[in-house]
Amino acid sequence: MSAPATLSRHQPPWLAALGCLTLLFMCLPVLIVVPMSFSSAQSLEFPPPGLSLRWYAAFFGNEIWAQAGVNSLLLATLASSIALVLGTLAAYGLVRGTFPGKALIEANFMAPMIVPSIITAVALFIVFARLRILGTFFGLVLGHTILVIPYVVLIMQVAIRAFDIRIEHVAATLGASRMVILRKIVVPNLLPSAAAAWIFAFVISFDEVVVTLFLAGTNMTIPKRMFNELIMQINPTITAVATLLIGFNVLALALILLLARGRHLQRSLA
Amino acid sequence: MPKAKVFGLSAVTAAAMMALAMPAFAQVKELHVMDAGGQWGDAVAKCIDEPLLKEKGIKVVTETPGGYAKMAAQAKSGVINNVATDGSTSELARMAAEGLLEEIDWGAINPMPMFDEAKNKYGFGSSYYSTIMAWRKGVPAPSNWVEFFDTEKFPGKRALPDYPDYVLPFAAMADGMTPDEITKGIDLDRAFKTLKRVKKDTIWWQAGAQPPQLLKDNEAQYAISWSGRVVGQDGVETSFNQGMLDMSWFMIAKGASEDQKKMLYQWFHEQTIPEKQACVAQYISYPGPSPELEKLLPKDKLNQFPTYSENKKVQWLINGDWWFKNAAEIEKRWNEFKLEQ
Amino acid sequence: MTTVIHAGEINLARHEWRWEGIGFLAPLFLFALIVFDMPLLIVVFWSFSDPAAGFPSLGSYQAFIESGSYARIIWRTFLIAGEVTIATALLGYPLAYWISRLEQRSQLIAIGIVTMTFWVSILVRTYAWIVMLGNGGILNRWLLSLGLVSRPVEFLYNERGVAIGMINVLLPFLVLPLYAAMRRIDPRLLHVAETLGASRLQIFWRVFFPLTAPALGASMVLVFILSLGFYITPAILGGGRVPLIANMMDLLINKFARWEMAAVNSVVLLTATLAFYALYQRLRGKAT
Repeated sequence: MSAPATLSRHQPPWLAALGCLTLLFMCLPVLIVVPMSFSSAQSLEFPPPGLSLRWYAAFFGNEIWAQAGVNSLLLATLASSIALVLGTLAAYGLVRGTFPGKALIEANFMAPMIVPSIITAVALFIVFARLRILGTFFGLVLGHTILVIPYVVLIMQVAIRAFDIRIEHVAATLGASRMVILRKIVVPNLLPSAAAAWIFAFVISFDEVVVTLFLAGTNMTIPKRMFNELIMQINPTITAVATLLIGFNVLALALILLLARGRHLQRSLA
Repeated sequence: MPKAKVFGLSAVTAAAMMALAMPAFAQVKELHVMDAGGQWGDAVAKCIDEPLLKEKGIKVVTETPGGYAKMAAQAKSGVINNVATDGSTSELARMAAEGLLEEIDWGAINPMPMFDEAKNKYGFGSSYYSTIMAWRKGVPAPSNWVEFFDTEKFPGKRALPDYPDYVLPFAAMADGMTPDEITKGIDLDRAFKTLKRVKKDTIWWQAGAQPPQLLKDNEAQYAISWSGRVVGQDGVETSFNQGMLDMSWFMIAKGASEDQKKMLYQWFHEQTIPEKQACVAQYISYPGPSPELEKLLPKDKLNQFPTYSENKKVQWLINGDWWFKNAAEIEKRWNEFKLEQ
Repeated sequence: MTTVIHAGEINLARHEWRWEGIGFLAPLFLFALIVFDMPLLIVVFWSFSDPAAGFPSLGSYQAFIESGSYARIIWRTFLIAGEVTIATALLGYPLAYWISRLEQRSQLIAIGIVTMTFWVSILVRTYAWIVMLGNGGILNRWLLSLGLVSRPVEFLYNERGVAIGMINVLLPFLVLPLYAAMRRIDPRLLHVAETLGASRLQIFWRVFFPLTAPALGASMVLVFILSLGFYITPAILGGGRVPLIANMMDLLINKFARWEMAAVNSVVLLTATLAFYALYQRLRGKAT
């Protein structure tokens, strides 16, 4: 589906220039942060005067960053896993079921994505304070889970819809029970999408800042520490953390695309 | 029924994962306090916290910064995450007035000799520090607070502390009050008049490490800063004139658990050891309140210390009583002022 | 497999699915109810409380309206959100258009770049602007060396810097859906216009642009909604001098301990968000 020859060949040069500049503008943060993380200078400077791995050493050698990293990984794992279980079940129910009020329930599941996270943060803060779980890791897990669930539900809905229901019908006619159908047919086919959804949720939880700032108490996570450091003391170690985060996110994106591509293949084969 | 099995399985998995999250992170032997961080925090971590961890197995976890607002927010939420904070004499007075603090059990601390002035019913005196004026090398030097807040004759941005205790006295002096008058009480109207006047040239800082950074980056040309952060720094000039000499206190949050308090008292005890105070003074010029300290201090850097005689005589001391009496009014007016930003 | 049996099975299956559906939804439904719906409801209750008068009371709403500060901050938030939305559209539409007209491989690369920036954490993206926009930062050094200005321009700790940071974060949210919509436009429509003798300019303004207008509108509303709720960028690039609604709510909870006012602000922001979201859905319906 390409544009007619006449239209696509004649791009006014100013449009190309504007487009390139805008693209450059969008990339600027990454283009700056990554080289700076290898800077040998004591304070923030660009371009960096020399190359050094000192800020990476500072990050990996620092106990607080290490603790924050562990917390972030554990938190993201727990939140994504719980969200995957709850979200996949719900997605299955949303796609396969028809009953009054379904649209409303679906909207409820999607709501944490639409409602600004500051509101969710304030609401959970007040409730958790009253329930005396404010500042606990458990509370953090709850908060992150509810935030990533919309993404899981969305992705799994697409996957389940793509999975031809007639295969389930055929299996049912052949005498397979619900449980067997789920275990032997549905789950294996959904696995790539489930993995993609899990990774998606993982990255979102890992990068989450606002709700974490309100709920974390003394628990430290990577974004929370980054935010505190940014507000207060501009320490070049942050550039190393930022670059690692970029690499981490890009890797996750690549994984997701890989899994998604497999799914398309499966769909066309089925 | 297969359906029930699916739910059962998923419910158990989800619950198991949530259960995993809960007890695994019960903090063991960790002491949570709030302090001013930065160079001072690092010095304390090296000189006091590290040995404490080795000898007594107590890990001190600090959150920066502390202060009145965080203590109040913590108290309202009912969850005391941080058992202590540091703060000025005025903050100590305000928090005590608002019922946010617990009395200190000096017997439990069993301190080494300390100046009496560092022992308060609600406060543990930790170090002397000053709040002074600083400016970027090269800009016109102010000689008093009237000039510091004169944005016409001394153009440039001001980095001011986002805490009423550290900025209101100076703002009032800018409107003409003298240090003697200030120690008796601050005319809030005059103080806020100054702050409103310079509003568009103000950058508010929350952590002690910010003002020297802002000056170095040329984001601000003048700053009110804590002395240890700016004295002797490259590219920054300072003056102790009309500066506020004060003691930094640690205060205990009301409702702190007995465990946390026990660890806290041990930490306090370590801070009273003169050798440890000398160690901290190596990194930042804040002397502790030990009578033995003076002989251990580096002689060539003495003029950087707020307690040094030359510096001491041009400064003034806070009067806690006025802050105690007017705590509610100060908080109300400060909040109103901040909301008008 | 005859048609009759097939249809019969589907009928049976559909009747059976109906109740299965509800069962599968139950765990998440309960979770969302407890962890999301109830807290939001409680916030609404808190907004109708007053520190003095207790619940129920309109005292907090009254204080909200009477105090000029909240209105000022909300107004400023809407204003900045509006400016950012327009700027994003002015930059993003040409970008999307240009990309959609590139040849296949370049298109993939360009969209890949956009997607990648979208994927980078907002903290990282905001942080880089501190280095860029400071008085001693890259942009100012460049402007000074070119002689365009004689003193550093203040980009940080004011609305300018915050706006730049916000536009940078929000551009992908506009470019990606717009690009998708542009690609869906039937090229035959443009071809027909061409055959009928229309100039390139005419083809664009009278055929292409109107076809993409709903998608543009929907994306702009989305960007606007997102701008209203921004917290990190104004906090970091504004240095406390550009508090938007979200920063105000942070102050109210974490500094002033005034939960009722935070609740009132939450309700106001939520209402605005939902209203604009309804608009967004309408426009999206028209775009597809």
